Amino acid sequence: MREAIRIEHLSSDYGKDMKILKDVSFTVGEGNSTAILGANGCGKTTLFRCLTGLLPFTGKVEIFGKDIRQLKRDEIARRIALLPQTSGVYFSYTVKECVELGRFVRGVRTSHDREVIDRAMELCGLSDLAQHPVDALSGGQLQRVFLARTIAQEAPVILLDEPTNHLDLRYQNELMEYLKEWEKGQTCLPDGSTCRNTLIGIYHDIGLAAQVSRDVVLMKDGRVLSAGKKEQVLSRERLTDAFDFDVTKALRERQEVLESCLSHS
Amino acid sequence: MTVTACICVLLLFVSISVGSVRISLSDMGTILWYTLRGLPVPSSIPEQNVTIFLSVRLPRALAAFFAGGALSLSGAVMQSLLQNPLASGYTLGVSSGASLGAAFVIVTDWSVPALGQFLLPASGFAAGLVTVLVVVAVAARIDRTLRSQTVVLIGMVVSLFVNAMLTLVSSFAGDRAKQLLAWTMGSFNGKRWYHVGVLMAAALFGLVVLLLSAKSLDVMSFGDDEAYAIGVNVRRQKILLLLVATLLTGVCVSFTGTIGFVDLVAPHVVRKLFGASNRRVLPMSFLIGGSFLALSDMVSRTILSPQEIPVGAVTALIGAPFFVVIYLKDRRKE
Repeated sequence: MREAIRIEHLSSDYGKDMKILKDVSFTVGEGNSTAILGANGCGKTTLFRCLTGLLPFTGKVEIFGKDIRQLKRDEIARRIALLPQTSGVYFSYTVKECVELGRFVRGVRTSHDREVIDRAMELCGLSDLAQHPVDALSGGQLQRVFLARTIAQEAPVILLDEPTNHLDLRYQNELMEYLKEWEKGQTCLPDGSTCRNTLIGIYHDIGLAAQVSRDVVLMKDGRVLSAGKKEQVLSRERLTDAFDFDVTKALRERQEVLESCLSHS
Repeated sequence: MTVTACICVLLLFVSISVGSVRISLSDMGTILWYTLRGLPVPSSIPEQNVTIFLSVRLPRALAAFFAGGALSLSGAVMQSLLQNPLASGYTLGVSSGASLGAAFVIVTDWSVPALGQFLLPASGFAAGLVTVLVVVAVAARIDRTLRSQTVVLIGMVVSLFVNAMLTLVSSFAGDRAKQLLAWTMGSFNGKRWYHVGVLMAAALFGLVVLLLSAKSLDVMSFGDDEAYAIGVNVRRQKILLLLVATLLTGVCVSFTGTIGFVDLVAPHVVRKLFGASNRRVLPMSFLIGGSFLALSDMVSRTILSPQEIPVGAVTALIGAPFFVVIYLKDRRKE
């Protein structure tokens, strides 16, 4: 199995308000959906910023064997895409215009381009909304638009930065369904080789992370605490250590309260 | 879009036609037709009208048109770039800086023979540019990625600081206070063909450069992290676009004084009519902003004729309520 991403001794300490990463190393296998978990401020988003080339870092990051520092902006964008948290939209682009922006680097003119755009919209259930202004959409629909835009970028790796934030459970599941559907596919790299689609996600919902990922990377204070198959990484002790808080107990208590409410009704 | 473009050109001519001396549209057509072919204008049109049209009204209206276009372009860029619908060409402090520069020249009665009457615009432009560079430098020092909220915040702080200095300078202005006030309010009175030349060159240059960046501007309007991931070189594009927007606003402010609201309103109206894609927003803002300012200038010279009121006051008087109406309408839609 090829490695989609290899991170070796990555450190980043730029800017006072930025979280610091210290000697982060892990790999993500091609097609292995991976969740990154950790308390607020442990450096998850900073890690993503390093992966998209936004922040400088020391150490090494390889995407499908290519050193990220040897790649130009557009070459990184052909390999890694980012689905951000639900953000506001300030201007009324149409759904289609918005999805097309994902092809900034690749273009929208050829029949292949149009096919990718149409397929991305279809996959995310947006075909009927193509001419709709995005600022009139619901939160769930809007996040689907951003997902379609990210898919239209045609990168084999998609980074998810808390993609289900602000979404209710139904839309969370719906979004993850679309993502799973995408993950089954393959994408062509610029050098012509095909590779299996790979998701790397930051989640706050540990249950969701376990549900949608094969591997888990547990982070604390800018370091990797543990990385590997989710069954191996996710233990009560490790989670408690990572969050400085008994996460499993809290989750169980919540579940119990909810269940006792449901059993009364 | 074609229809709107035609309406804009028509409005431009209407605003030339109205005034203490009325020149009919057909007369204007005739004068233009003959002059452009290098022929003498037929004597059926009074010679006085020909002179008024060619050397007063036309350059004045065109100056207003290109200034309005340049200001609106700059406003459209700043709004997209900073993801802030309230941003304008003035957000980075170019107008405060330019006003301070001009105030300094007016108050000290400074003169440089080589520059002649260009001293005022030149010093205004230079001071405006310096202010923006200070804003960008400070913002970049605080935040390497030049995030929008940092830029807006630093822009505001520096503008307020420079405005305070302007207040200080004008308190020493004495009998020159009126000249200073007139300058800060903006006017197209006495604009000649060389003004038109400079404004046109700046506006068209800006339009071309910005249209080439329209796509990346679209992407950047969704936020910096996303724009990076989509493949835009955000930092480089941001600096380039901020500089072009500053150039556009700076040239306008230094030739005509501070004229507000065009840059704020025109892009919003355009987005309402033609959608948010900058391929359409930029050229249409240019046209609509241009004809709006030409029209405002016509109002400013005719409404209390023979006295002229500052065009900056007219744009704000028309623009402010208009802006509120559009915003309230938007709110209701939500």
